Amino acid sequence: MTILTICAFASDEVPSSALEALAAARHLAEALGDQEVQALLTGSGVTEHGASLIKRGADEVLVVDDPRLESLDGELVLEVVERAVDEVSPDIAIFPHTDVSGGHVAPRLARRLETGIVTDCTGFEVKDGAIQWVRPVYGGKAMAVMTATGPVQLATMRSLAFEPLEADESREGDVRELVVDLEGVEMAVPIVDTIVEEEAFEGPSLDRADVIVSGGRGMGDEENFERVKELARALDAAVGGSRPAADSGWVPHSHLVGQTGKIVAPQLYIAIGISGAPQHMSGAGSAKTIVAINKDEDAPIFKAAHVGVVDEWENVLPPLIEELKQA
Amino acid sequence: MHTIVCMKQIIDPEVPPHLFEIDPDEMKQVRGTHPLVISAYDEVAIEVGLQLKEKTDGKVTVITIGDEDTVESLHQALAMGVDHAIRVTDPAFEEADAFGMAQILAAAIRRVGDYDLVLCGRQAGDVELGLVGPFLAEELDLPCASIIANVEPENGKVRMQRSVDIGYEVLEASTPFLATVTNDESNVPRYASVRGMLAARRAEIPVWSAEDLELDADELGLGAAQITIDDLYIPEREVECELIGGETGAEKAKNLVEYLKQEKVI
Repeated sequence: MTILTICAFASDEVPSSALEALAAARHLAEALGDQEVQALLTGSGVTEHGASLIKRGADEVLVVDDPRLESLDGELVLEVVERAVDEVSPDIAIFPHTDVSGGHVAPRLARRLETGIVTDCTGFEVKDGAIQWVRPVYGGKAMAVMTATGPVQLATMRSLAFEPLEADESREGDVRELVVDLEGVEMAVPIVDTIVEEEAFEGPSLDRADVIVSGGRGMGDEENFERVKELARALDAAVGGSRPAADSGWVPHSHLVGQTGKIVAPQLYIAIGISGAPQHMSGAGSAKTIVAINKDEDAPIFKAAHVGVVDEWENVLPPLIEELKQA
Repeated sequence: MHTIVCMKQIIDPEVPPHLFEIDPDEMKQVRGTHPLVISAYDEVAIEVGLQLKEKTDGKVTVITIGDEDTVESLHQALAMGVDHAIRVTDPAFEEADAFGMAQILAAAIRRVGDYDLVLCGRQAGDVELGLVGPFLAEELDLPCASIIANVEPENGKVRMQRSVDIGYEVLEASTPFLATVTNDESNVPRYASVRGMLAARRAEIPVWSAEDLELDADELGLGAAQITIDDLYIPEREVECELIGGETGAEKAKNLVEYLKQEKVI
């Protein structure tokens, strides 16, 4: 069996999500009995990263490097991936579950190839040579074990579910160019503009933050929500919010943690004035340590939190911010 | 512009974990007496459709697959301002996977006929695979814009925003096309008014069967290509919450910092 993993990106560095998918592919190759992992590396000016994918777990790298891929248009990536799958006929193709790869390219490829797909996986099991994909469902309240049947098994991997492999300098493998003519591909939904937003909102992005401080309905209003940001600053943390906080405009939707927002997995998650509704815990539940500050000792958040402070935030936050500033 | 929104009704995801049960034979959540709601991203898609209706003097049609219980969500969509609701149902549809669902929706959309765009929520709030929208685009041979947040008409075309790390991308499409929709500041769903709800209850909701859609139930799905759930379980999550003591807020704050340091969390 051969495994193809898809590494499509527009950034200067190989994104962690792609290295995580590559790690998942490597682990799967081992579980299936020393199988081969090929990586498709695609984007604009990406060729130089080929060798690093070998060190990070690929046995062979196919490169499609084309200036037209600069903005990572979904249609072009789909075309490239379809060509690569046609070229190497893998048994399994693994994608990172990013918006473009997981939300657009992989599902459409599955329909085109008339083959099964399981998205947003956090793991897999191999039983008698057959693969079962494991993924959260119902907002993480349950786990499903799923099978994708068809000519090629497609799967997309949730961010942070696998750790990238350490670079192993002793690993060797071929990096070869794959020629794909993108000239004739119709861009039916072109990206006509990219607007760079100066980070208007507080601090770092949620996605890969080690520490996140979130506030919810209990903060009451936008002015009070400033205290959440202040605590985040003291901890050098990202700021998050529950759905009521986002819908009230206290945080932008890009900082919403929950089933309809970001699914995060920081080392430390501090939830203030958040009741712990399922919508929110779907996004925050994977944090290593959850600290809850809430005046209602019966709030569901205390069933999910590792550490709890039962009190009004007004009593706890100001001294907490001071303590941390001094620390 | 005429927008068709595909909507799924699900069991309220806000059912608390201790009331959440699964049926090991059916491999799904036990229905119980929990409320039924429009899946969150589909409700956002309805909102985007309604905003486009207002901007273009257009109309919105919502389609759902499901039994009589789904009428409640169709009424809600109508009360929000949707013009037409269609319910597609057949015992033969119950076993359909995402491939089958896309085929059923495609047949219904073809029967509606004249439309400019199709909107689907990026994924349903229950199984969350996010497949039906992209499959449907392939099924209808439509260009597909994925995970966008709003649709603005502009010079005979439309422009959409998709959020990316550094800001957002602007995508352009000509009709007809399909888009999968996510939430942002611009599309927080409006409430259904009481008056709207009363009017919705009087609305005609056509019910289409497999026969009406000329679908052969035995041929739903893609043969060898299948997506199945083999097992479904509730993960064990025993969390013991360490409550931080103290007489005053200041004392609790001090004890919390000490505790987190001691546990090497900070």
